[in-house]
Amino acid sequence: MVLRKMNDLKALATKGQRRKLVLAAAQDHFSLNAVMQACADGIIEPVLVGAKSEIDAIAQEFGHSLEGIKVIDEPDMEKSVELSVRMVNRKEADVLMKGKVGTSTLLKCVLNKEWGLRTGNLLSHFALFEVKTYHKLIAVADVAMNIAPNLQDKIAIVDNSVACLNKLGIPMPKVAVLGAVEMVNENMEATLHAALLSKMNQRDQIRNCIIDGPLAFDNAVSYESARHKGIMSDVAGDTDLLLMPDIEVGNVLYKSLVFFANAKVAGVILGAKAPIVLTSRSDSEEAKYYSIILAAAAS
Amino acid sequence: MITKLDDLARHVRNSGRRYRIAVAWAQDSNTIGALRKACDEGFAEPVMIGITTEISKLAAEQGIGTDGFTLIDVRNESDAASLAVEMTRSGETDVVMKGLIGTDKFLRAVMDKEKGILAPKSVMSYVCAVEIPAYRKLLFITDPAVIPFPDLDQKVAMVKYAIQMANRFGIGKPKVALIGATEKVSRQFENTIDYSVICKMAERGQFKECIIDGPLDIFLACDPQSPAIKGVPTPVNGDADILLFPDIESCNPFYKGLMLFGKGELAGMICGTTKPVVVMSRSESEKSKYYCLALACLMA
Repeated sequence: MVLRKMNDLKALATKGQRRKLVLAAAQDHFSLNAVMQACADGIIEPVLVGAKSEIDAIAQEFGHSLEGIKVIDEPDMEKSVELSVRMVNRKEADVLMKGKVGTSTLLKCVLNKEWGLRTGNLLSHFALFEVKTYHKLIAVADVAMNIAPNLQDKIAIVDNSVACLNKLGIPMPKVAVLGAVEMVNENMEATLHAALLSKMNQRDQIRNCIIDGPLAFDNAVSYESARHKGIMSDVAGDTDLLLMPDIEVGNVLYKSLVFFANAKVAGVILGAKAPIVLTSRSDSEEAKYYSIILAAAAS
Repeated sequence: MITKLDDLARHVRNSGRRYRIAVAWAQDSNTIGALRKACDEGFAEPVMIGITTEISKLAAEQGIGTDGFTLIDVRNESDAASLAVEMTRSGETDVVMKGLIGTDKFLRAVMDKEKGILAPKSVMSYVCAVEIPAYRKLLFITDPAVIPFPDLDQKVAMVKYAIQMANRFGIGKPKVALIGATEKVSRQFENTIDYSVICKMAERGQFKECIIDGPLDIFLACDPQSPAIKGVPTPVNGDADILLFPDIESCNPFYKGLMLFGKGELAGMICGTTKPVVVMSRSESEKSKYYCLALACLMA
């Protein structure tokens, strides 16, 4: 199956039982609007946890009807996050989403040893882009969570991302490990990591995907460019996942795609018991909406 | 293609060339014997540097003459090594060979920054071609003698030297196995990390024509049945020409095991120098010493 458009995710997100999304500290109109839209489109069933009076006020202001929607009144911000996380922990919800609460507070609850969402895996960010100039959706990791991943972290990021892509119906995603060049250079650590990840993949130590790298960005996304350079690769030109050397490259690429290429984007945190929608205020409403769909599809 | 060590000697003999061999501190009866044979077969012109009276005496004791030998009287082992290297550097001789002098002192002359034959920043290593009845072809192994714990750059150089040697034997696209205890990549075994990097370099065309895979254990490298049995697909496929070992402590016992228990013979030399350098250990058989000489001539 090839996912070409963000909207192709909708079918996956709505397959089977409607996914429950719990919005922690729901008194945030940015997130609430996106959640209510996704609800209206029949994609998720929301549970709103937070200061009910504020939630009601926002609903009224933006014209959302809260009829039939579960709202749990918890004015204390941290407690509302704890309640939401506990719900996911007890499998009463499939997706956790951040509302009007700081990222650190949310992650602290997610990582709680008793009632949090730890799995023992590294948490990593997974972004999915629809770009007009590429023939399918392309995933990028990690653009937001892990600052300078070492080899072990990168293995975990690949594992998280590949599991997600598998759930999105891509059984053997093609993973390009990005470098500045396609050659291995001892002075460029990313190229060494790339060589290692490739070999571990060949030896079946990283499964359910095809890894090649180092690949320069052009080789990764353009078959022509790879051929021009004489690179023999099963990945080049048909990449499903771009693995970033570090957060700085990842974040800049992410923002370039959004601002210069008008890309549609969805992002989730992976590696916990359930996907987490953790968008920032600067993300567009559309990005939040697509992130909810992605999380539902990946749950 | 040269598939046996006897073929190697024959190939050199048939080349019609006479190689001039400078022997440093040459008063050693085994060395004199090997050079006598090579000289009689017509491919070597020995230049024996050392105490000439002793050289003649040792030859006489073995019942062989020194006709065809050039004898140069030098009274000090370091001077003998320097002169042998110097002659080879200037092209008066083609190959330099260690005699009775200690390896350290000999190599010091080889590596001398001004008068030596090792280019700056070159990696000096050792490659040997091993012949054992149990393997269907020659096996090139590196490094049993020179670099104790090679780093990535040194391993890359070692692979290149072994490929060069295999090419001289007529193997156009040698199969290189990077040897480890298992085929898995593990951070606990640093060599497996270097190996992964070397494989990717090969994939990206950073080596001459060859097939490289590793980490592989000896079975996956040399036993054609093993890849299927273990379920590890590898382009080397149990048919390796070249084995790169992680360090001297694994390579040296491996080759000695082949010599002692596997009835092996070998031809080995120092690589990375601008001219061939022959260094033989005392434990090598007369035959292997002769093969080493032939190998150096082939590579000259």
